[in-house]
Amino acid sequence: MHHIKNSVLILIPAYNEGKVIRAVICSIQKEGWKNILVVDDGSSDESYKEATATGIKVLRHILNRGKGAAIKTGLEAAKKAGFNIVVTLDGDGQHNPKNIKNMVDLIEKGHDVVLGIRDFKKRHIPRYKAFANYLGNGITWILYGLWVNDSQSGFRAYNKRALNLIQTNNDRYEFESEIVREIARHHLKWTEKIVDVRYSDYDQNKKNKQSIGSAVKTIIRLALFE
Amino acid sequence: MNITTLSFFLLFFSIYSIGRRIVGFIRKEQGQSLFKLMMTVSIWGGISYVAFFPVQIRQISRQLGFGENLNTFIFFGFVVVFVIFFKLLSILEKNERLLTEIIRKEALKDI
Repeated sequence: MHHIKNSVLILIPAYNEGKVIRAVICSIQKEGWKNILVVDDGSSDESYKEATATGIKVLRHILNRGKGAAIKTGLEAAKKAGFNIVVTLDGDGQHNPKNIKNMVDLIEKGHDVVLGIRDFKKRHIPRYKAFANYLGNGITWILYGLWVNDSQSGFRAYNKRALNLIQTNNDRYEFESEIVREIARHHLKWTEKIVDVRYSDYDQNKKNKQSIGSAVKTIIRLALFE
Repeated sequence: MNITTLSFFLLFFSIYSIGRRIVGFIRKEQGQSLFKLMMTVSIWGGISYVAFFPVQIRQISRQLGFGENLNTFIFFGFVVVFVIFFKLLSILEKNERLLTEIIRKEALKDI
């Protein structure tokens, strides 16, 4: 496993996550993952400073371009550095780093992409998130012909083949659905894995969280501009 | 129905434009979107409809209280506004992508 861990990059897009980013990075390091890359998407708070203080590699967008743009920058960096597997997770600490191993195991078993899915039956997940996700899944299915159970999850894993084939254009949250399009387009071998999510007060109260408004905006952009 | 040489000429261009857009959309070519497809179909579809059924358009304009000549101006006005809006949107989208690419290059320069 140690050998595998060296070829895995954990990619975290972060925008104004200064309060929690250090804890997120430390919790991933505690699980034994050493290759961590944070892409600071033009944060106006201490995100860059906090992430750099942990000693990991941090890339910085000089302007905020969106979560999709930040992930794409990270994926480009992973390709350049020659990593075999990339796992993406959100910078606000909602994802449990203990699940990374399960995702990597599935990639090792021959899947090109593993989509982490939230269990919406669990009560702590806000209902509006479940509803918005269901709508997003529907539109993603109509547009790309592939039904996934969590089209908006940021917890995903890719192997080298997927990294080389996937091409995206969207900078914002539509990026997550665009990945589904690429899976369908290139006939990538994919699977889903239920992952833990923790919605803390920090998540629910932060300014740049995904709200009903942003979910509707994402759905409209997906329907019209995709 | 009013069939003239001009009608067929407009129909030919409409089919060409709509067809090209549909093929691009199905092939998922870069920059294609449902919005662009809808815009192309509505603009060129509208032009073809007016070319073949001018009487119906005249009836609608009479019901709305517009004069014959004014109707033509309004129609072309709408077309021009839609085309300009469409072009501006495309330019904006292209610029957004370019900006992101520049920022990405800057972020990746040390790797």
